[in-house]
Amino acid sequence: MSALTVKGLNKKYEKFELKDVTFHLDEGYIMGFIGSNGAGKTTTLKAILNMIQINGGEVHVFGQDFSQNEMILKQDIGYMLGGVDFYIKKKIKTITDVVKRFYTNWDDDVYNSYKERFNLDEDKKISELSDGMKVKYSLTLALSHNAKLFILDEPTSGLDPVARDNLLELFQELVEDGKRSILFSTHITSDLEKCADYITYINNGEIIESSTKEDLINSYRIVKGSLKSLQEIKEPFISYKTNAFGFSGLIRTDDLKTHEDISVEAPNLEDIMIYYAKRENKDD
Amino acid sequence: MTNLLYKEFKLTINPFFYILPFLTGALMLIPTWLYFFVLLYFCFITVPNFFANSKAQNDVSFSVLMPVRKSDIVKARILSVISLELLHMVTAVIYAVIHNKIYKMENFFLNPNIAFFGISFMMFALFNVILFPMFYKNAYQYGAAVGVSTGAAFVFTSCVELLVVFSPGVQSVLEGNTVSQLLVLAAGIVSFILTAYIAYRLSSQRFEKVDI
Repeated sequence: MSALTVKGLNKKYEKFELKDVTFHLDEGYIMGFIGSNGAGKTTTLKAILNMIQINGGEVHVFGQDFSQNEMILKQDIGYMLGGVDFYIKKKIKTITDVVKRFYTNWDDDVYNSYKERFNLDEDKKISELSDGMKVKYSLTLALSHNAKLFILDEPTSGLDPVARDNLLELFQELVEDGKRSILFSTHITSDLEKCADYITYINNGEIIESSTKEDLINSYRIVKGSLKSLQEIKEPFISYKTNAFGFSGLIRTDDLKTHEDISVEAPNLEDIMIYYAKRENKDD
Repeated sequence: MTNLLYKEFKLTINPFFYILPFLTGALMLIPTWLYFFVLLYFCFITVPNFFANSKAQNDVSFSVLMPVRKSDIVKARILSVISLELLHMVTAVIYAVIHNKIYKMENFFLNPNIAFFGISFMMFALFNVILFPMFYKNAYQYGAAVGVSTGAAFVFTSCVELLVVFSPGVQSVLEGNTVSQLLVLAAGIVSFILTAYIAYRLSSQRFEKVDI
């Protein structure tokens, strides 16, 4: 069953637009939503959650139209957009006391178990929590109201490597039973290599790819060779870099032609992001 | 809806503003004064602080993430402000009764009588119908909305005070018999309720279009 389906989402700003953003996430999987800063990740997540007025498109959560059933569907969604940056001078217990009233499925036992597991001190103010603890507090709230879909905007941003690794392990643990799904945006591609099942890559408001991690990587190849061979094969490159020794460029695997003077290797996610960003800069 | 109201009273409103009406209300005990100031302090002090705190605490972002309608967020905010306005009115009434027991002399401006509270309801009606629709154009910048609505309330009450001094006709209605004063009170309450509804409709329509 599809946990989240986004179809043809459009949003126009003066200097930026989301263009036909389309992807879907099945239940029980983790999807990484990647793109460079300003690519449209947060705008897409806000559009999904009806926080901004869209110019077109549809969002379905668990098969139901989100705009028509927002109140009911939000009961099953846990979010974290830009960290816990509200009521930062209030104690955790005060915030929890307010939040729990909004959710019909709130379970105090679940809340207390995660509170103990994450060592959350309820007498601490939000501002006294580290970035990692803020993410854990957000997840605790979401888990306590039995959220099935987690939408997290850059949850690993600002965390140290250990905290990041712990969090990614937790993500994997959460989806283990196949009932929960996670969509999280990031520009740290190593996070995705560790735990994402699917990857949706957005660049300049357009979805470039949305597929399994393996399919995404297999769709591209890094080609390296001499400057002379570049002249012969440069046309289908997404973008390329040159230096005194030759060139390296990103190409779609389907466009790859055999040539005696080149070497071909699989890219990593960072390569794909960098070469697409380079193409945008060239177009500008 | 009740959850949002709980959030307003527990998180957004500083507890000091539950005490303030009892302090500003005591200004009704000043003999011969412009008593509308007692209620205007709500516009001068409470409302800008309330909105500033809400903005500083990122309240809109918090509220829209809860399983609520955007219109409910507007409704809760309007109801919480109205609740505080009514608290200011009730405390002012108590102090006005004490005032009228203590001082037997007539005020140069409008006496703190029944009609005074009718005009006060009208003042808050005007204040609300300007404040909320202006604020919910972007649900972020409150300065202009508070400035214009407070200015309008101040001009309105100043005009009433001047008319009481210079227009015997107006004075006879506002300081005349109990029936005429009760009619002014009823008109004030009706306009207060009506404008609260208009403010809610306009504000929620505007807030729907706001990108958070």
